[in-house]
Amino acid sequence: MISPVQAVPERLRPLAREEGSESWSGSYSVEISESEPVFAGHYPDFPIFPGVCVMECVRRAAEAETPPPAGKLRLDSVESTRFLSAVHPGDRLAIELNWSPRGEGWRCQAKVATQHGQAATMRLRYLPEAVA
Amino acid sequence: MTAAAGATSAEVRATLPHRYPILLVDRVLELGEQEIRAVKAVTFNEPWYAGLGPDPDQEDLAYPPFLLIESWTQTAGVLAKRLAGSEADGQVMLFGSMTGIEFHRPVHPGDVVEHHARLERAVNDTMIFEGVSRVAGEPVLTVGRITMAFRPGEQLNPAAGPATG
Repeated sequence: MISPVQAVPERLRPLAREEGSESWSGSYSVEISESEPVFAGHYPDFPIFPGVCVMECVRRAAEAETPPPAGKLRLDSVESTRFLSAVHPGDRLAIELNWSPRGEGWRCQAKVATQHGQAATMRLRYLPEAVA
Repeated sequence: MTAAAGATSAEVRATLPHRYPILLVDRVLELGEQEIRAVKAVTFNEPWYAGLGPDPDQEDLAYPPFLLIESWTQTAGVLAKRLAGSEADGQVMLFGSMTGIEFHRPVHPGDVVEHHARLERAVNDTMIFEGVSRVAGEPVLTVGRITMAFRPGEQLNPAAGPATG
């Protein structure tokens, strides 16, 4: 899928099943370079990485590797997102992902932090691609 | 919706601080006291399409779903700016949180997205909006609730502590 963010999430910890549970977790890192195209317009002379671009980094990390039992998934909804601090050029996002089966689909819960502290939390819902 | 004039593309650009490549509202059809309807035309000429491979399929051409949220939110932002009046001058518009955002079908170049945002309520300096986005009358996105606030830009300094993004 095309993306408003150029940086590619770097995998720090491969997705692994948590012992004694059906959850899977992994972690990623994304370096937010000042050359990201969105900074030109968000905002001129006052660069803030847009909240939806933080969400985009999480989406790309989530979709880079999904839990093997889930099969092919598609994004159904953003159950919730909370933005806790602004992200600036030069920040590095640390993304912790936790997948758990929910009903016929999966929930991917994410915590995003920068070197300044917590930046965002998010819950994405995915459904099997076969479900209309 | 109460009878209300819209806003030209020039007025939209004057209202929102966003600029290319992330000014994602083209024109306001109706701007009322509590509601707004605006359009965003999706085209191949948006920069996100520049990195496509030689033979993309229809799925590859889907508009990034979170940009659809951004576009809807900018629409709500035009209404928020009107409601805040001069108090918002010089301040930055920020999301606090979002819940219940559902994607119903992909959007592609050539689609004209019509956003509809409604003020659910305002609490102190925070506004809560809900709404829907449609293409040719069919919902592509529903927004359960998004909270938005205006904050002085200096609060966003990384050293200044918690702020929203």
